[in-house]
Amino acid sequence: MKKIIFIIFTLVLLNGYFSLKAQTLKSDDQCYLCHEQLGGVADLFKKDIHFQKGISCAGCHGGNSKSDDMLEAMSKASGYLGVPKGDDISLRCANCHAKKEMMQKYGSHLPTNQLELLKASVHGKLSTTGKEKIVQCTTCHNAHGIVSVKSPASPVYPLNVPNTCGKCHSNAKFMQTYNPKIAVDQVAKYRTSVHGMLNAKGDPKPAECASCHGSHGIRAVADTKSQVYALNIPETCSTCHSDAQYMAGYKIPTDQFAKYTRSVHGKQLLEKHDISAPACNSCHGNHGATPPEVASVSKVCGTCHALNADLFSSSPHKQAFDKAKLPECETCHSNHEIMPATKAMLGVSKEAVCSKCHTETKSTKGYFVAQKMRNYVDSLDVSEVLALKLINEAEQKGMEISEAKFKMRDVHQAKLEARTMVHSFNEEKFKEVVVGKGLSVSKAAVTESQAAIADYFFRRYGLVLSILITSLLALTLYMYIKKIEEKQASKL
Amino acid sequence: MKKIVKSFYDYLDERLHLDDLVHFMGKKYVPIHSHSVWYYFGGVSLFFFIVQVSTGILLLFYYKAGPDLAFESIQYIMSKVQFGWLIRSIHGWAANLFILSAVIHMFSVYFEKAYRKPRELTWISGMLLLFLGMGFGFSGYLLPWNELSFFATKVGSDIAGAVPIIGEPIKILMRGGLDVTGATLSRLFGFHVALFPGIFTIVLGIHLILIQRQGISEPRRIAKLDQKEKKTMPFFPNFMLRDLLLWLVMLNLLAILAVFFPAELGHKADAFGSAPAGIKPEWYFLFMFQSLKYFPAHILFIEGEVLGILLFGAAFALWMIVPFWDRKSSRGERNKLINYLGMAAIMFIIVLTILGWIA
Amino acid sequence: MSDLDSNQNRRSFLKYLLSTSLVGFLASVLYPIVSYLNPPKQNEVEVSSVLAGKISDFEKDSGKIVRFGNKPVIVVRTEKGDFKALSAVCTHLDCTVQYKKELGLIWCACHNGKYDLSGKNVSGPPPRPLDPYTVTLQGENIFVSKKA
Repeated sequence: MKKIIFIIFTLVLLNGYFSLKAQTLKSDDQCYLCHEQLGGVADLFKKDIHFQKGISCAGCHGGNSKSDDMLEAMSKASGYLGVPKGDDISLRCANCHAKKEMMQKYGSHLPTNQLELLKASVHGKLSTTGKEKIVQCTTCHNAHGIVSVKSPASPVYPLNVPNTCGKCHSNAKFMQTYNPKIAVDQVAKYRTSVHGMLNAKGDPKPAECASCHGSHGIRAVADTKSQVYALNIPETCSTCHSDAQYMAGYKIPTDQFAKYTRSVHGKQLLEKHDISAPACNSCHGNHGATPPEVASVSKVCGTCHALNADLFSSSPHKQAFDKAKLPECETCHSNHEIMPATKAMLGVSKEAVCSKCHTETKSTKGYFVAQKMRNYVDSLDVSEVLALKLINEAEQKGMEISEAKFKMRDVHQAKLEARTMVHSFNEEKFKEVVVGKGLSVSKAAVTESQAAIADYFFRRYGLVLSILITSLLALTLYMYIKKIEEKQASKL
Repeated sequence: MKKIVKSFYDYLDERLHLDDLVHFMGKKYVPIHSHSVWYYFGGVSLFFFIVQVSTGILLLFYYKAGPDLAFESIQYIMSKVQFGWLIRSIHGWAANLFILSAVIHMFSVYFEKAYRKPRELTWISGMLLLFLGMGFGFSGYLLPWNELSFFATKVGSDIAGAVPIIGEPIKILMRGGLDVTGATLSRLFGFHVALFPGIFTIVLGIHLILIQRQGISEPRRIAKLDQKEKKTMPFFPNFMLRDLLLWLVMLNLLAILAVFFPAELGHKADAFGSAPAGIKPEWYFLFMFQSLKYFPAHILFIEGEVLGILLFGAAFALWMIVPFWDRKSSRGERNKLINYLGMAAIMFIIVLTILGWIA
Repeated sequence: MSDLDSNQNRRSFLKYLLSTSLVGFLASVLYPIVSYLNPPKQNEVEVSSVLAGKISDFEKDSGKIVRFGNKPVIVVRTEKGDFKALSAVCTHLDCTVQYKKELGLIWCACHNGKYDLSGKNVSGPPPRPLDPYTVTLQGENIFVSKKA
């Protein structure tokens, strides 16, 4: 309560100060003096930060503000422009806002690249009239009565941003004219999100539209430079969520981004630039960003990992997890720091996730199933290594072994399918994949490559034998020649 | 047993007068001297030719010409057909060894000036056989239709195409079109298994008849000797049995090479693929291929490559007609120039082959 | 034993040796040749166009995996009865795809990747469509060949 009184008091004081200043201005600004009598925009302008900094109407509208002769003051000769239309509006603003020295003159340290950013943004495209940009400065900032972004009265103050953007973006009829496919429910969804709810409660810190999309330089989602382009999303979210100081009051961790970058998803997206890999919004939603609830985790993961989710949901684990209020996929795979699934997760060893619940004394059925399942995978791995070694050896020996190599595709497939089938937590089904599909083929490949290696040695031994025989023939032939020549010599 | 052989021989003799032939063979003598060893290389070349004909026929049983099937049928021979790898590897190795022994045979004849009158025609027929052998090599190289052979054939026929006036028609004749395609494969297959073997057999027949008719040449210094000082051995059976002995040794060599260095297959040719690194022609074309690289792009108004090809053509032509311009040897005089030219040719071939090999 | 006798013995031994080794030699040359001529069990490979089977082997709305050189190819007979052939190697992680009748799609069992019958990846993780092959009908026979 004290706070509010203090704020009101300060506002009253400030108002007094500004009206004092306005008083001084009034005296020599003829535009204002006249238009004040007329009411309307001049009243608005009184609160305008520009007015308070001593900028006259003529600053935007042109003309001679010193002259009290209306005809002269608003004549073309004195540079009167009237109401700027279309792109001229933004150009008028840029007249000062794009010039550093001009801004400094009024003691402002605002950036000076807004119009440039706007031109490059999706809003800088030509509007349906084909004559001007879709959005001018005034579309968001208003024309008269512009106040600092930091003022709660500004339409671009964080608490007001959703409604300001929503003026167009929630208007289906209007948005239709630009992109018939675009959604118009962003603000509605936003209001359901954690960000949106806090924002509605008057907390300016949680993200609003501009926090993620940017302000002047908003780009389309598919634009690689956009802050919300798939590859850039984790970074964008992390600007707040990894800032421990900023997040201090919210009692949530700030290591999600760091964990995500180490995860299999993060590597796929950020290192391999695979934009089909999930970013923050894939699981949390974007406009309706919120953490998935315990029971819906498998549905969220299942949007991509459909088979695993289906198998899990029909497995005995579904009931057990729900009872124990364990989040489904997350319990074994964690959430932000999901590592590639290896066979180390399966079994009863310390690292195996099964052993979190199943031990030799507790939930023993699962303990023994896990042990068996791990054994199947291990024997497939051993057999695969042997098969590959033998195939390689046969190849090194120059034997044609492409058929066995072709068969090894099935082993690869069985291993991949096993990673899915493990989610049935059914020993029979798992065995069918690992042993029936994988191990049998791997063993066949071993047999084939062994036969090829045996053939290699058969060639060597055959060679030795045939050389021996041929050499024997050669030797006897040699002796025979000698014999004949002896005979010939003795005849002479 | 002996009786049966005897009666069979008598049966034939009665109708064909074999006695004359045996008598003739028995009368033939091979001179013995310090360079007698070179006499065997003709026989060794003949052996490799026989091996090529027999393994070639065997390969034909499974080989299928055509861009769709050539590579796969050879893969099939190498992996599925029993001893297919052996037959193909021997065919590949014997091809190389044939060229090698024929070249040795040629140089030995050259340095002994055995081409001199009256054996000019024997020399020319022998040179034709060597060229045909190279033709066999070139046409056979493409038949597996793998990457390496595809591009080597492309380059090889391009070089032939660079010859002025007749080059382009020859290239089109060789390729069966403007480019190396399936048509080239059919065509070179035809050359390899029908045209060349036919011509080769005729020329070889002439070559062998000439040798039998004229007897074996003596080097000039032996010919000068007194009849009594000359050492000889009968062609039949002594020399022939020795020949057979050497053939057995060569067969062993082929078997070893085939087992330890079997013929490779590589990747299937892809006309749209990029040329693999290090395309080289067969080693016996390498010295020509390499020396063409050293010619500058232009010499006066002709292209360097064209000039090189013309020079090689001229050199081969001169080499082929050496019996006609080496009058001195024919008169029984020494001709050192011939030896120097021969040494220079050998040095040139060896150096450029090595350069081409390491390039 | 006289000198002449031993000479005689040596000669007959030599002849014996010569004929035996000659027989052995002929055997060692003929054995590979005869085995070579003996046709192998497996039919000759006809690649670049592979015989996928007879039309009657394919029910409507079904698919079959055919080995094409070193790669599997899936041949699908659609509900309407025409044939399609596509590479059966899933573009995601190289599993072998199959025809899924209920969906009328080509489906990969590993990660639920789906392709339509033109090979276009329509759902799931596959990043690229399946490579198409050409189907030619010669009488009753269905041949699959590489797309030129």
